[in-house]
Amino acid sequence: MKPYKVCKVEDLKSGERKLLTIEGRNIGLFNVKGKYTAIKNSCPHQGAPLCEGRVEGMTVVKKNRELEYIRDGEILRCPWHGWEFDLLNGNSIFNPLKCRTKAYKVTIEKDPVETYPVTIENEYIFVHI
Amino acid sequence: MKLPQIIDTDIHPMPKSEDEIKSYIPMPYRRRYTFDSYKYYSQPVQESRLDVKISGNDWIASNPDIVMEEHMDRYNVEYGILLPRAFVSSNPFIDMANNICIGFNDWLMDKWLEKNNKQGRFKGSILVNPQDPIAAAKEIERCANHPHMVQVMVDSGSRAPFGHRQFYPIYEMCEKYDLPFALHPGTDGVGINDSNTLGYPASFIEYHTLLCTGYMSHLVSFITEGVFERFPRLKVVLVEGGVSWIPPVLWRLDAEYKALREEVPWMKKRPFEYFTENVRVTTQPLEVPDNKQHMWTMLEALDAQNTLMFSSDYSHWDFDAPDYIMRSIPKHLIDPVFSETARRLYKLPNKDLNLEGEKSETLQSL
Repeated sequence: MKPYKVCKVEDLKSGERKLLTIEGRNIGLFNVKGKYTAIKNSCPHQGAPLCEGRVEGMTVVKKNRELEYIRDGEILRCPWHGWEFDLLNGNSIFNPLKCRTKAYKVTIEKDPVETYPVTIENEYIFVHI
Repeated sequence: MKLPQIIDTDIHPMPKSEDEIKSYIPMPYRRRYTFDSYKYYSQPVQESRLDVKISGNDWIASNPDIVMEEHMDRYNVEYGILLPRAFVSSNPFIDMANNICIGFNDWLMDKWLEKNNKQGRFKGSILVNPQDPIAAAKEIERCANHPHMVQVMVDSGSRAPFGHRQFYPIYEMCEKYDLPFALHPGTDGVGINDSNTLGYPASFIEYHTLLCTGYMSHLVSFITEGVFERFPRLKVVLVEGGVSWIPPVLWRLDAEYKALREEVPWMKKRPFEYFTENVRVTTQPLEVPDNKQHMWTMLEALDAQNTLMFSSDYSHWDFDAPDYIMRSIPKHLIDPVFSETARRLYKLPNKDLNLEGEKSETLQSL
């Protein structure tokens, strides 16, 4: 795995995303309420540009027919058929073990080639592929 | 994956706004028209693909240039059969419904089939109101000679199955002008239409799953009412109604026929013979079970080689990408499904996109 520098930390705010092409691979980088996550921009169903979909929460049963809307901002829905994916790991909601898109490692680091003193402004988001 | 040249049998062109379509609807109906669709049976997540390019505030899939570039050129679609959605058969006001058809047909001919159709790759459907078969027949006569109109279409929602004789004026015109009669899901159980299910589905998932039950009803009605004996050259296209249910339903009908022939003595042939001779079906949404072989058995039982035609349903949410369908069917069906059967049905000359300098790109995984 090699790290690829994407942007400064402050250039990807909570709820924002960037669509990247790294070594020919299309990837979506997301800031999910302060957690950084990167997944392949391709839906395992028909290859749609998954990371162009809406980011939402998900509806679950709390008890009997009482519903609850949870995890707002953590669920990505495919822009074609609307399948739901967990942004934090790329797994689908309906079948997390068998239907998923690849998740890439993301780290926050100072740029190793920069020699000037490190401050928070010098921290970058790296995607590892 | 290199895609073959494709005939896409289900593309949905939209007006760019309510005002645009209103300007084509005859007065005074224009004044009272509002565009509406399904009300309680609207798709709750997204009606259309979210990644489709739109210009400004225009409605999605309303710009012929974008549809040509983003869908037709991208996927090597040689011809696109356009099916406008007007939902007229749910309308309790029959004259209004008839005039909406006139407006949509004039709009389609003007904007999509004439002004923005230099290569002739857009082909149209004459929208008719099945509640008023006499008016529908007149509307077919009015539009049938347009060089790019290739079929007649109605919603599958209805108050009666389409084998009933009240619909004969429509089938007479279809035969006269050699135009297939296409059913597209819509308005089932909506407005004045009967529900195609037991009672009314509560959710969209229930509604959408069971759309095939309306098609079962229409298909069995066509066959048992003897429509294909009376109109032997009539071709019926079941668009977007699913595929895998067809063999079991026809097997049932075949079994019943052996004992109950006396009820329907005008039926001269077995159900599968009528089906392969008079009915065509479209792929989207193609059932793709975990074990592909299960579906392939159904495709064989269906005589898919002669009856199944590719459709994408662009730009709706349940769009099927051509490369996905290529991977989902056996190899020997690719040419028949992607172009040959539709080419015969709609009598479309071979148009070599490469020779015309069109993009014919090799698809990369998205």
